[in-house]
Amino acid sequence: MKRVLAFLRRRRDESRARTDGGSTESRSTARRWLDNDFVRSAPFWGPPFLLMGFFVYAAIGWNFLLSLTDYTGFGGADYSSLDFENYRRLFEDPAIWEATRNTFVLLVVFTITCLLIGLGLAILLDRQVRFGRGFRTIYLLPFALSFIVTAQFWRWMYNVNDGIVNQFVGIFGIGPYNWLGNPQIVLGAVIFALVWQFSGYTMVIYLAALRSIPTDQYEASRVDGASTLRMYRRVIIPQLRPAMVSASVTLVLFALKAFDFLYAVFGGYRPRQGADILATKMVREAFGQSQWAYGSAIAIALFVLSLAVIAPYLYNQYTRGNL
Amino acid sequence: MSERSVSVGDETSDETTTAFDLRRIGLYATMLGLVVFYLLPIESGLVTSIKTSEALINTQPFAPPGPAGVTLEKWQFAFDTLWSGMINSMLFTIPATLLCAVLGSMAAYGLTLVDWRGQVAVFALFIAGIFIPYQAVIVPLTQFWSQYAMLEMRLGLLLSARSATLLELIITHTAYGIPICTLLFRSQYKTMSWEMIEAARLDGATVWRIYKRIVLPLSIPMFAVVFIFQFTQIWNEFLFSLTIIGSVSDPAASATLILSGLGEALEGVDYPLRMAGAFITALPTLVVYLLFADEFAEGVEV
Amino acid sequence: MAHTKLDTVTKVFTEDDGSEIIAVDEVSIDIDDGEFLVLVGPSGCGKSTTLRMIAGLESITSGTISLDDRVINNIPAKDRDIAMVFQSYALYPHMTVRENMSFGLEESTDMGDDEIRTRVEETAEMMGIERLLERKPGELSGGQQQRVALGRSIVRDPAVFLMDEPLSNLDAKLRSSMRTELQRIQDELGVTTVYVTHDQTEAMTMGDRIAILDGGVLQQVATPLECYHRPENQFVAGFIGDPSMNFFDMRLEGERLAGEGFEYPLSSDITGKLDDSPVVLGIRPEDIELIDGTGGDHEYAAEVLVVEPMGNENNVHLRIGDTRFIATVNGMRRITEGETVTIRLPEKAIHVFDRETGEALHNRRLDEELAEPPV
Repeated sequence: MKRVLAFLRRRRDESRARTDGGSTESRSTARRWLDNDFVRSAPFWGPPFLLMGFFVYAAIGWNFLLSLTDYTGFGGADYSSLDFENYRRLFEDPAIWEATRNTFVLLVVFTITCLLIGLGLAILLDRQVRFGRGFRTIYLLPFALSFIVTAQFWRWMYNVNDGIVNQFVGIFGIGPYNWLGNPQIVLGAVIFALVWQFSGYTMVIYLAALRSIPTDQYEASRVDGASTLRMYRRVIIPQLRPAMVSASVTLVLFALKAFDFLYAVFGGYRPRQGADILATKMVREAFGQSQWAYGSAIAIALFVLSLAVIAPYLYNQYTRGNL
Repeated sequence: MSERSVSVGDETSDETTTAFDLRRIGLYATMLGLVVFYLLPIESGLVTSIKTSEALINTQPFAPPGPAGVTLEKWQFAFDTLWSGMINSMLFTIPATLLCAVLGSMAAYGLTLVDWRGQVAVFALFIAGIFIPYQAVIVPLTQFWSQYAMLEMRLGLLLSARSATLLELIITHTAYGIPICTLLFRSQYKTMSWEMIEAARLDGATVWRIYKRIVLPLSIPMFAVVFIFQFTQIWNEFLFSLTIIGSVSDPAASATLILSGLGEALEGVDYPLRMAGAFITALPTLVVYLLFADEFAEGVEV
Repeated sequence: MAHTKLDTVTKVFTEDDGSEIIAVDEVSIDIDDGEFLVLVGPSGCGKSTTLRMIAGLESITSGTISLDDRVINNIPAKDRDIAMVFQSYALYPHMTVRENMSFGLEESTDMGDDEIRTRVEETAEMMGIERLLERKPGELSGGQQQRVALGRSIVRDPAVFLMDEPLSNLDAKLRSSMRTELQRIQDELGVTTVYVTHDQTEAMTMGDRIAILDGGVLQQVATPLECYHRPENQFVAGFIGDPSMNFFDMRLEGERLAGEGFEYPLSSDITGKLDDSPVVLGIRPEDIELIDGTGGDHEYAAEVLVVEPMGNENNVHLRIGDTRFIATVNGMRRITEGETVTIRLPEKAIHVFDRETGEALHNRRLDEELAEPPV
């Protein structure tokens, strides 16, 4: 930071020397330094940046450091001997591989389903329906609730004995299933509940994008004789790409860190077999088993996965001038 | 082309009107079906929460109980258990929301309406902060509070253990809420007229005065959006509560933390109690959401 | 009120990729106290950047700007005693007209509330907006907003007024009435004014002097009529005047200029100024005469391509061989497309420019009674 400031100051001095050709009169350097826009804006973004920077970026660095120790149990970490032992352990732990697999299944199925359902909802609501705002409010309602709250509802929905889901599939003569206990289907059940909660979110994103498309284009494609279906496929949906990209990023990142819902629906750190993901595994190792260093290593793995999504997204936003 | 325009004219005939009506009906039927899908888990939870144990066994999970099967006992019990958690949640959610909004607005102003080199790079760091998985910071975070900051011990004379924990939660939630709030405010500030800011500069206003007299009054609608959105986010949050507070029985335990352990007993899960607890916990966010659905949606959109 | 001086002012923008763009290139202008100077040029010519450097909204890469012999390069915008009217008016939408007008006085002076109120009300009266004082900008029409924006800068009684295309958001009718109004106000207040526009009509009608910029380079600073009749180069000649001056690529051959399709005999006082390098012959459409008969030295047969009737006059698009040009003739005269007419290009009205440098080698002769003697 200091070096940046010094650099800026030097640049300014140089340009001043060039511009004034010595006629700088009596205005003091300090005074003009204070007029600099960088300096004047610093009181505004500086404090939030320091607070956020400490808790986000310094914490990530610290977390990495912790992952190199062999910190377990009570007391503090010993930073004197650092190695990559925990990362080796990470690669050899079969539970990690299972959690990684589940994470990716969750991520892919959840994201794609949310995108499709959200698009469907948005197109329905975009068709000049009455009470459109009422419908939107209802579809988005689950998203406004805490995972801890919705987890209670879904425990009840997935209840083995007389849960609504089992009653529903019973109509078709199948079931009952132990939705949250059967390793074969538990992940699907979790994804279904999460889609219920998040599809309203994707709908809102798509809806905003749909509404920003000028009506001329709808009318133009009508005049060109396109059917509704073709109009959406050829004219409208291609323009929703930016919305889709930003919604996907949010959904993928959520899928990576989803913890609250799994904790609450299974009532503890350990999800039922078949539903363990990296995020739950990380919290369990650290806070359940006090394997702090190992938990930190898993956290770094999660962070790297997130970075693989965030970095291209931010770069893309930057090149489009959206930042 | 002329043929086509003729056929378009024909479509106003009665036949197509009926087809059109049928399509409309199909549309509304689909939308109502979806309403059932989205509301059923919530409705079922609501009717279950007022059922007596008998009614729970004898009625369908989504059907309301008969007059004899209604009891508010579970609500009463859940309320008693959650009450302190609700207070705690309020005590850290409201200050953290306010702080996030103010700091986010200031950061967005400094990064948008004052022109200097390199602001995009700093802003990118803010944005990346939105997406960071909390898992990646949670261990150092709890370490920091419990072994380095130790507010309880240092401020022991001023603060009770409970207040110290709440203060930790306020600071934590503020720090992690700043990025999204900055993004929300910046999205508005970018649309503000640059000429207007320059006019104020020429009118003699300093950077501070421009913020206070021009930018702040014009961001009141966005403050509403940020309050609504951030309030629900912080209220609903769980991982920080779980790791920083630690225990359901802690005097500083938040509503979501208490709810996560509610109705868990050896003889099985008390569903009506859990449902009642869920509704009580969700109540503040539900009220805020239903009153300000538009602002909430706007917060989501950005 | 102040004498404003730009001395070899240069602005270089550095792009993100490190390349540099010279937006304003060593511009020097002396603006007299109380003068109305119009900065005019095509978009991207650097006129707005120049204005913003005077305002202090843009830093100056090199050169100096001074107000009454005080260099203001490093004085922040707010301390320069300058008011600016923006193209978008830049009114504060959440404040009433009164608050908008008081804002600058509150921020930059230590006047009391009563004094501010009196000043705002006096100014509002002068601008004819006293009944709008309690309204917000959103409730005003474009013309009213424009008056408020003007009033807001007038109320501060600045040393210099800067205006950045202030009339371009108004419809044509309103624009011409605001033009007169602005001149009246500027006359009354006698404040030095720098006015930026891309519209040459505005420049001609409003400015005491106009400064024409192209590609960041100052082309000419002179009174409107001087720019019109004695352009220093081909750019100025083409930019000022509507329809613009006709240009013909020619070369001196003995006593005449030879070009594609026609030749133009010259008298010796003009040929004396030329050598055998390529030149451009220029003549304004309104100087081309339609005549009967043919045979004179500067008379030619031309084919009529298009006639644009303007009412009082016609713009006639003509062709000699492959050379196309425009003549403006009396609107009462009947001309049909496709007919062949005889035109005269009077020698006293022609301009000759160097084709390489664009520099004016010869400008038209002026009759003695014409407006003012060339400076």
